[in-house]
Amino acid sequence: MRVEPPLPLTSRAPWEVIFHRGRDGVTLERFLAEAAALAARLPDNGPVLNFCADRYLALLGFAAALSRGQTTLLSADRTPQRLAEIARLHGARYALADSDIALALPVLRPEVAAGSDAPNPLIRADAVAAIAFTSGSTGESQAHPKPWGALVAGARAAAARFAVAPGASIVGTIPAQHMYGFETTLMLPLQGAGAGHAGSVFYPSDIAEALAEVPAPRLLVTTPLQMRALLGTGIALPPLAGVISATAPLAASLAAEAEAAWGAPLHEIYGATEAGSVASRRTLGEEGWEPYDGVDFAIGPEGAVVTVPGLPAPVPLADVLEWVAPGRFRLLGRRGDMVKLAGKRASLSGLTAMLTAIEGVEDGVFLAPEDLDRNPRGRLAALVVAPGLTAEAVVAALRARVEPAFLPRPVVMAAALPRDAVGKLRREDAIRLAWSR
Amino acid sequence: MTTTLSLEAEVAGLIVEALHLEIAPEAIDPEAPLFGEGLGLDSIDALEIALAVSKRYGFQLRSDDERNHRIFRSLRALAAHIETNRTG
Repeated sequence: MRVEPPLPLTSRAPWEVIFHRGRDGVTLERFLAEAAALAARLPDNGPVLNFCADRYLALLGFAAALSRGQTTLLSADRTPQRLAEIARLHGARYALADSDIALALPVLRPEVAAGSDAPNPLIRADAVAAIAFTSGSTGESQAHPKPWGALVAGARAAAARFAVAPGASIVGTIPAQHMYGFETTLMLPLQGAGAGHAGSVFYPSDIAEALAEVPAPRLLVTTPLQMRALLGTGIALPPLAGVISATAPLAASLAAEAEAAWGAPLHEIYGATEAGSVASRRTLGEEGWEPYDGVDFAIGPEGAVVTVPGLPAPVPLADVLEWVAPGRFRLLGRRGDMVKLAGKRASLSGLTAMLTAIEGVEDGVFLAPEDLDRNPRGRLAALVVAPGLTAEAVVAALRARVEPAFLPRPVVMAAALPRDAVGKLRREDAIRLAWSR
Repeated sequence: MTTTLSLEAEVAGLIVEALHLEIAPEAIDPEAPLFGEGLGLDSIDALEIALAVSKRYGFQLRSDDERNHRIFRSLRALAAHIETNRTG
């Protein structure tokens, strides 16, 4: 097997600003010194569960752990139950956090402490730098290890694809622990170009303020849901050089509205937690997605598989794809019964299994509306046969097992499900029953 | 106090309408948590509420401070925050 040469922690020059904390620009030189100072304070063994909301602290913790040979566990879900589950299942030895959450392991708060000049450490390309998680069909988290070489290759491909200027400011609205947020707001400044904005940004007014705090050219990295809220409130934004969207397909109408309002090109990233970002398109005028440099798609009748530089094996995708032109593919939909909400995937049959496992539920099914992928406000529905239970009791039981985004709305209690003579669900009747109001 | 109570009912109606909830506005317990337990809202809903509040009451919700947990703690807390900050 070919051994890849080690790669430095960062490709940026010492004087370059790689992060903005408020109005304070952090140069690479200062970042390396602060990361080394933090590394010296870390416990001897990882993995480390890093759920800092401040992106600079998240990056500092990641870099410090990596330089000590420790793997970072990335959980975009900061609920105590989920964090505890990941820590338990994946052997976290300690956590790095900037909020007060009690966990059954030591929680360190990273501090920004000045250090003396520090070198740019070399990291083995096959070292597992981070582990990202998806929730499997049973609801339990599945681990997706990220070798350092894959993260570096992805960041460099993204910087090239979006022609990110070295002095660009990157304001992201997705948690740094979501794979898309991690790649665009931590890895891009570390190994590509631009300077991240440290603050936690979520509501339209947060986004406007964060953009106003950083120098031009400004790149906004966000989601269709947040773009819709931004445009809906009509809040004014400083001039943008570009907008990137991911996590859900973006309607062409919303893309047109955004480009008109902000006067900047809007690109979408296609990716998955398992593979990372692997393709992009300019939403207006381009139906086809262009793979990132070095990424290879094999699209066949059995499904699509993507080969990503730095990942040890090809990754099967949950989407159905087809080629529309040389080097351009189109999304036809999701395979099987997978659905995606709030940047997370689940299978309808897996959710149905959790529903019917509830004590007192005799029969039940999760349903997705036809426009789930196009409607940012789309939600799943559940039809339930449970004579002794109320809809509220069913939702309460599901809440313990299902991510909030997948909780059904509405829950329709029925005397029986519409099934045919052999017991097969009559889908159209079920959908009519679920969304009758 | 009567103003707050009627505003509370109005905000309950706004939440039910904005989020397409399957309950009557008066069925929302004004002291129950809006997120997680209680009404069981999530981050998608938080954006919808922020959007509806900006349109109806003319100000923006923000997430940069500790207040945010207080504001979304309950219908009563959200209504009180709107009472203080509304411009419309």
